[in-house]
Amino acid sequence: MNPSLLLPRGRIADTATVLARFLIGAVFVYMGLSKALQPVEFLKMVRQYDAVQSPFLLNTIAAGLPWFEVLCGALLLAGIAVRGSALILICMLVPFTWMVLHRALSLHVDIPFCAIKFDCGCGVGEVPICRKLLENAALILMSVWLLAGRGRKLCLRYSLWQRPKRDV
Amino acid sequence: MNGHPHHASSPRPCRLTEFKQVLLEALAVALIGGIIALAANAISPRGLNIARNYFPGSAHGVVTPPPLSPIAGLRQKGLQWIDGSKATLLFKDPRYAQQRVAFIDARNDEEYRHEHIPGAYPFDPYYPTKFLATILPLCQGAEEIVLYCNGGDCEDSQFAALTLRDAGIENKKLFVYVGGITDWTNRGYATEIGERNSGNIVPGVP
Repeated sequence: MNPSLLLPRGRIADTATVLARFLIGAVFVYMGLSKALQPVEFLKMVRQYDAVQSPFLLNTIAAGLPWFEVLCGALLLAGIAVRGSALILICMLVPFTWMVLHRALSLHVDIPFCAIKFDCGCGVGEVPICRKLLENAALILMSVWLLAGRGRKLCLRYSLWQRPKRDV
Repeated sequence: MNGHPHHASSPRPCRLTEFKQVLLEALAVALIGGIIALAANAISPRGLNIARNYFPGSAHGVVTPPPLSPIAGLRQKGLQWIDGSKATLLFKDPRYAQQRVAFIDARNDEEYRHEHIPGAYPFDPYYPTKFLATILPLCQGAEEIVLYCNGGDCEDSQFAALTLRDAGIENKKLFVYVGGITDWTNRGYATEIGERNSGNIVPGVP
């Protein structure tokens, strides 16, 4: 196999991974900030999902989750603890996407599924739910790609446990 | 030498170690991130009070989803309500000028400044401490208190009424205007922009 033929493909994969990391990071910083600056609105949205009944737990989620998203997004943008952050994003995105789907299905009575729109509490206001589910699926796939350990370019500290010299 | 679990020729232990490292990294990010997130909320001027129940009125102090209709929610909370006709009568009542009838806007600052019923006092029930010093003496002196928000499925006027009731205002004085500002403007009544008594009155369109 000719190594010169593999090199561009590797570079393309590296560049795509860096772009994916920046994209996920930027999305989470933006969505987290938009919720963190309107915590009461986010609190009302979380309540609508009827997932928690304890006021303390509900408040903790509504108060902490937006800033936590901002932090995870910032870590990805900076390239710090990339795989750990990607794993956390998957752990947040999968149940949240399921909850959005569940709520959309409960509204799917008289109107076509892709005509359903509501404010899912994602930080972007009312959105068509089909689009939102596709966006989330794309974010989950990109996070899985990062979790798989692809692309370590432009990272300040790819792993918390490895010595920085090894990351070069 | 011969029993080293992380030898290069045995990929399984390496993957396991790598997996553990990623898991530990995620836990570290979750722990440190959680602490930072709650600290950010505590510092933020719009931060939430974690110990408070922002949705009072449900049984056993648990949070329940929004009721199917505003009236059902009012009944459940034991609150009285009025429609637009009654709200109009109270607005035109001479007692309104004497503050024996009070109108309270239970929306946020931004919405209040955008437009409110002329002479209404702002009272955001999610940040009550900012307003209670003004609102409580007003309510203690008033005979009838009308609380409103955006109408529709908005519950903020109900939470404002419950906050006042918990602060010692008699339930019989509290009336939730179910239609809210939406009904008010739909009826073609004037609204006020900016601060209370700013004089910036927008005539309604009947």
